[in-house]
Amino acid sequence: MPLLWVLGEYAMLSKTKKTTKFLAAFGVLAVVVTAGIFAGCIGKGGGDTVTLTVAGSTTVLPIVQQCADAYMDKHDNWDIQVSGGGSSVGVRSAAEKTADIGMSSRDVKASEFAEWPSLEVHIIAADGLAVIVHNNNPVDSLSTDHIKKIYTGIITNWQEVGGANMPIVVVGRDSNSGTRASFEEIVLDKELPTSSMLEKNSNGAVKETVAQTPGAIGYVGLGYLDNSVTTVAVDDVIPTTGTVLDGSYPIARNLFVITNGEAKGPIKEFIDFMLSKEGQKIVKDEGFIPVGPTA
Amino acid sequence: MKPSSLLAFVATSMALQSSDDSEYKIRKVKEKAIHAFLFVCAIFSVIVVAFIILFLFKNAYDLFAQYSMIDFVKGDRWAPTYEPAQLGAWNLIMGSVLVTTGAMTLSIPLSLATAIFISQLAPPKLSGFLKLSIELLSGVPSVVYGFFGLMVLTNWIRIKFDQPTGETLLAGSIILAIMAMPTIITVAEDAISAVGRELREGSLALGATKWQTISRTIVPAALSGITAAVILGMGRAVGETMAVMMVTGNADQLPQPWSNVFTPVKTMTGTLGMEIGEVPYGSIHFHGLFALAIVLFLMVLCINMLARVILRRIAETQIGTGKKKKLFKIPPAVTNVGKHALVGGAGLFLFVLISEWFGYPVGILVLLGIVSFVIINRTLLKQKIQEYLAFGTLSLASLSVVIILGIILFDIVSKGLPVLSWEFLTEVPRDMGREGGIKPAIVGTFLLVLGAIAFALPVGVGAGIYISEYAKEGRVLKIVRAGIDNLNGTPSIVFGLFGFAFFVLYLNMGVSLIAGQLTLGLMVLPTIIRTTEEALKSVPQALREGSLALGASKWQTIWRVVIPPAFPGIITGTILSIGRAGGETAPIMFVAVTYMSRKLPESIFDRVMSLPYMIYILATEVPGGIERGYGVALVLMILVLAMYGTAAIIRQRFVKKTRW
Repeated sequence: MPLLWVLGEYAMLSKTKKTTKFLAAFGVLAVVVTAGIFAGCIGKGGGDTVTLTVAGSTTVLPIVQQCADAYMDKHDNWDIQVSGGGSSVGVRSAAEKTADIGMSSRDVKASEFAEWPSLEVHIIAADGLAVIVHNNNPVDSLSTDHIKKIYTGIITNWQEVGGANMPIVVVGRDSNSGTRASFEEIVLDKELPTSSMLEKNSNGAVKETVAQTPGAIGYVGLGYLDNSVTTVAVDDVIPTTGTVLDGSYPIARNLFVITNGEAKGPIKEFIDFMLSKEGQKIVKDEGFIPVGPTA
Repeated sequence: MKPSSLLAFVATSMALQSSDDSEYKIRKVKEKAIHAFLFVCAIFSVIVVAFIILFLFKNAYDLFAQYSMIDFVKGDRWAPTYEPAQLGAWNLIMGSVLVTTGAMTLSIPLSLATAIFISQLAPPKLSGFLKLSIELLSGVPSVVYGFFGLMVLTNWIRIKFDQPTGETLLAGSIILAIMAMPTIITVAEDAISAVGRELREGSLALGATKWQTISRTIVPAALSGITAAVILGMGRAVGETMAVMMVTGNADQLPQPWSNVFTPVKTMTGTLGMEIGEVPYGSIHFHGLFALAIVLFLMVLCINMLARVILRRIAETQIGTGKKKKLFKIPPAVTNVGKHALVGGAGLFLFVLISEWFGYPVGILVLLGIVSFVIINRTLLKQKIQEYLAFGTLSLASLSVVIILGIILFDIVSKGLPVLSWEFLTEVPRDMGREGGIKPAIVGTFLLVLGAIAFALPVGVGAGIYISEYAKEGRVLKIVRAGIDNLNGTPSIVFGLFGFAFFVLYLNMGVSLIAGQLTLGLMVLPTIIRTTEEALKSVPQALREGSLALGASKWQTIWRVVIPPAFPGIITGTILSIGRAGGETAPIMFVAVTYMSRKLPESIFDRVMSLPYMIYILATEVPGGIERGYGVALVLMILVLAMYGTAAIIRQRFVKKTRW
């Protein structure tokens, strides 16, 4: 701390009152600031706080966040920090242990397993990807072929699929989104989406945009559906818990949490909680499809 | 480096003490040590810029081993996660250029008119009020602009212009135009005010009217300064991230034709902001984003260099350092074109404004009226009436600044106020921020800023002292100045990338409070250096000479004579930095913050919540989070503006009290 040394040196030398006063002010500032830095290091010293970090998919995030809230309500000394980042980050941060638990809304890729063979995947929920349009849009059913043509830019007006004469505003997700990866794998068959697609970085943003834009089409996880947007039947099937579970709704996927190596200690405790009846009830309440019995 | 120089000093001073107990020698060594320490502070900015460049290149380098540079620059598809990955950045680069061009078209006429009005026409109280409004406008955090743009502006564009979507090039340009205004107005106003009295008086004495003096004498004389102002504003616009990312739609395409402003586009900063937080480290996508950051950084670097060159030449001609280099000779034709473009832009803006309020037929009528009036005016009307018209236009432009500020403040305050309550401020968030309070975000922002200042203040003040008191004009000072200016111009998202690459990954700090504090600290460093330097320079030379003549050493003079009167100035700079650091999102969003946390951070290696990031999350990721977002935006604005207000008050008191 050269600054403090300089201060001390000249505090001794200083004789005039004004300088002393000034020095005092500066000194106090320096001390406060230094204390601020060290206060961070020392912290409160509450030894038995259990801290878990969870990062990744914004689709899985509401489930984990609500489970974390419920768990923290019961266990006062737990701090579960949930942050987004997308599925790729979820896989990566679990693998590199920058987070204790990763969240992903897509399967772990073969390349990722090859790089980190110790990854363990836990399915915590199933999900359908609902295709949504504005509430004033009369179109209520589309075939997967239509959706593919809309997302690849071949169909550009609602008229072509039985709607009003209105340009289609295609809304999708950012490039690292697991939701986008799942959707495009099932619907687009490895083709690139149209370059006029608006990119949004979360399910919520896609839904907000579709809700505000009369010509928009988008896709979100079942958990994000509400009456601000209209869900379109895909190949004449409306996405529901039943149609996703029995496989008749075509655009479905699983939601995962990922650990590096076998889950142990607090990590296992929390994952078990998510898979418990109470946790699965949260899955259901959040609008996703439980994979186990619910309370 | 610092501790070792300290040790060396202690060792030498002890050695001196034992051999020769002359206080003089000790003092001399001490002076040298202080000099060395201050020099390190000053050169620090240069080192940081070098490190930023180094780390951007280090991380981008791997891309070009796998991907051709030509495909990167000229490719028109940005699809980094597909097989094979396509990393064509052309649309993104041009997207940035187009949004910035649009912003400048809107911003330049308004800003310059306001600058002229403030410096030449407004009575002191009014110009004080306008300056305050502009300062407030510059104090509104970027994410709040984006939030306002997303909630209000994009819907307005979609409905008014009957477009499929309002998230367009135009929305980005309007938001950036507003954000660039404070920079352009402030620098242009300085340039116009700096035009010598004699020119003005000479012109008036020759019988020119006030308007003729302004338009034919003062503005042309200040033209280089005005150019620099525009260029600096452009630099600010190109590098802006959060607001642009939230309103331009982020579609990987270019307008067809180029003038179709209702096209959703994607910019370089928007791409970086959206993708860097979600990209797996080490992938080709990761390297591609750093390559994109290099393009952005170089673009801003060129723009700022240009402004630097122009401003320095102005300084040289004003001091008159022998070298009578003519600035650039601006041919009269260019000046004329510029003037007409200015008038045309202002006219277009007024036309759109009037048409929006009263319908297009009225707008066209008014336009025709004005055009015929101008023709009559030019040929028939008296100078006095011409003057009234010109002054009327200028005051209207200035009024628009106040109106814009008013609209934004009103929107945020009216929608944010119902959310505010004691619980909102003091409780922890629940249900992803839709319920509960924002205490961890307030504390997080506070800690981030505190740490940033703790780091930047000593270094910044040290550098300021070195430049003002020790440095001699020459190559070293030039390099130091260039370092500081470039650091100042570096886009905040680039700081974010650097913080991510250097602190989080390279130094292995992880996403943490300390990494955020250091990143923000680097970002505010130039502000502190500059304000310190200005404050020290404003202390009259006679005081230093008096002190030195009485036998005080150089450092004693600085410490006891020069710094005390400059102290309020330094404090002002610090407070401005606090405001700036507190409102930033882009630099910390992948360096320090977390989505939601109930507990406060317990060590500097924890992630923290922060207010600006929370606004961003509530606006874009949490369904139904918008009302709450307004509440957080209001709290953030109150905090930031309170900082700016405090700085303004201190400055004013200081100005009043100081009598040399």
